[in-house]
Amino acid sequence: MKISSFISGVAAAACVLGMALTPHAAAMISDEDFNALKSMVTNQDQRIGQLEKLHEQDQQTHQQDQQTIQQLQQQLGETQTLATNAEQKAEAAAKIQPANPVMNALHNFTMVGDAEVQFGQAKGQNSSFVLADFAPIFLYRANDNILFEAGFDVMLQNGSASGTNAVTTAPYTHDAGSSTSVSLSFAQLDYLLNDYVTVVAGYMILPLGTYQERGAGWLNKIPDDPLAVDFLPASGAGVQLRGAVPVGQSGQMLTYSVYGVNGPSSVDGSANATTLDANGNSIPNLDLAGNVGLLNSGNNANLNNKPSGGGRVGWFYPWQAHYDLELNVSGQTGTWAGNYLWSALVVDAAVHISPYLEVKGEYINTWQQTANAGNIQPTGWWVQAGYKLAGLDLDAPVVNDLELVGRYDTANDAMGSTTDRTTAGFVYYLTNTLLLEGDYEWLSNRGLNANGLPSSLFIVQLSYGF
Amino acid sequence: MRSSLTNKRQVVLAGALALACVCFSVVLAHAEPEKKTDQKPAPKKLTGAELYAINCNRCHPERYATEFTAAQWKTIMIHMRVRANLPAAQAKEILKFLKEDAGN
Repeated sequence: MKISSFISGVAAAACVLGMALTPHAAAMISDEDFNALKSMVTNQDQRIGQLEKLHEQDQQTHQQDQQTIQQLQQQLGETQTLATNAEQKAEAAAKIQPANPVMNALHNFTMVGDAEVQFGQAKGQNSSFVLADFAPIFLYRANDNILFEAGFDVMLQNGSASGTNAVTTAPYTHDAGSSTSVSLSFAQLDYLLNDYVTVVAGYMILPLGTYQERGAGWLNKIPDDPLAVDFLPASGAGVQLRGAVPVGQSGQMLTYSVYGVNGPSSVDGSANATTLDANGNSIPNLDLAGNVGLLNSGNNANLNNKPSGGGRVGWFYPWQAHYDLELNVSGQTGTWAGNYLWSALVVDAAVHISPYLEVKGEYINTWQQTANAGNIQPTGWWVQAGYKLAGLDLDAPVVNDLELVGRYDTANDAMGSTTDRTTAGFVYYLTNTLLLEGDYEWLSNRGLNANGLPSSLFIVQLSYGF
Repeated sequence: MRSSLTNKRQVVLAGALALACVCFSVVLAHAEPEKKTDQKPAPKKLTGAELYAINCNRCHPERYATEFTAAQWKTIMIHMRVRANLPAAQAKEILKFLKEDAGN
């Protein structure tokens, strides 16, 4: 009882003391402190106000972002819908299309070739214009390995008229009107069996020498063909294997061709060396252009007892661009009239020394068994050189487009006639494919047919390769 | 006196030896590797442009790539591969070269 009374008394005394001391403690805060505190509170109010404004702006930005996100989500949804539709359409299309659709066309048809127009005059004859040749080559590519190619020669020549002179009543035969001849130079199927073997079948240009394969009008540089080329067949019906094997990495190569054809035949069916044409002129009896397998009657047959075989091997050696040497040896053997033999051997060469100088030539030898003249040996050769004047570096445009050419050729038909010819000419390159060519030829004829040929002639030719 | 001379000689010899080592190192660092005379450089493979220059004006004036389309060149190159007996690999390189600037 005493303790509680003591505690109550202490508490009451503390209260009285606290009430008495409090006014004295308040009186201890100075005006400066109060003003400083007031200024601090004011600044904090201002900062709170700024923060509230920033918060409002952030809320507005957030709302805008939310709207943008909603729009993007809508667009994404639309895109996904479109993608889904496209995928469904693609799947539907894939069900309709083949598993491996063809991306590129395999077939292609292309026409190349050449055309020539001539103006010429042989000594003792009238000068004239001539549509020398229109020679398209049709190329049809069936796929990467198969090509069909056919070359034609279309020529225009005078027609003939015969009758009786109205005044003198004498019979006449005269050139009148015109006729167009269309001949098939070659029509062959090329099958690229592999990198080294190509199978050629059909009516082929024969690889006897190289002139026939490279003898298009705009390639010759001289409008006339070498005389001795007439001793060889240009084309033949048969089958051929050909190709090339590269040697090293310098562009050097070995080439080959092996073929079998029906072979040449006889004009009159006999094995005589000569025969007479419709005008009574003596002509060689060897028929180099016929015997294509289909007879006049429509039956199939070779006019000879056996087919002929032939081939060519070649070597091409370039030591740099425009500097090269090419050598070829080719031949053919078989029968031409029954069991009578006909054979040919051709050696040809070409040299390029610089882009400006070219020399090439062929030696041709043939052997022919005949019924009335024994074994005859028509033979001939030619050599041709060309020099492009651009090599002189004269800085003259006309001269730079000019090439001078010359050729010597000779042919002995082994039937009593020999012809030598010297030719000088030029090629003016209007473009790389349009050529103006001209030549003058001096001919020396000896033997039986010496009077049938002019002693000289000139030819100007416009050639176009396309 | 002799010992000081000996020390100087040693220092000079050591310096000369160090200089010789430095020079030898420099020479070795710049020396070319020994060439093997029996090894020839591998022959360079000809490009399509080079093969075109070698082959495509032997028989006729050069044709420009723009004269034919790529599809036509493909056809023409088969024709020329057969006619001119071009090796397959060379024909392919030439075709690739011509197709680069083929006409439309």
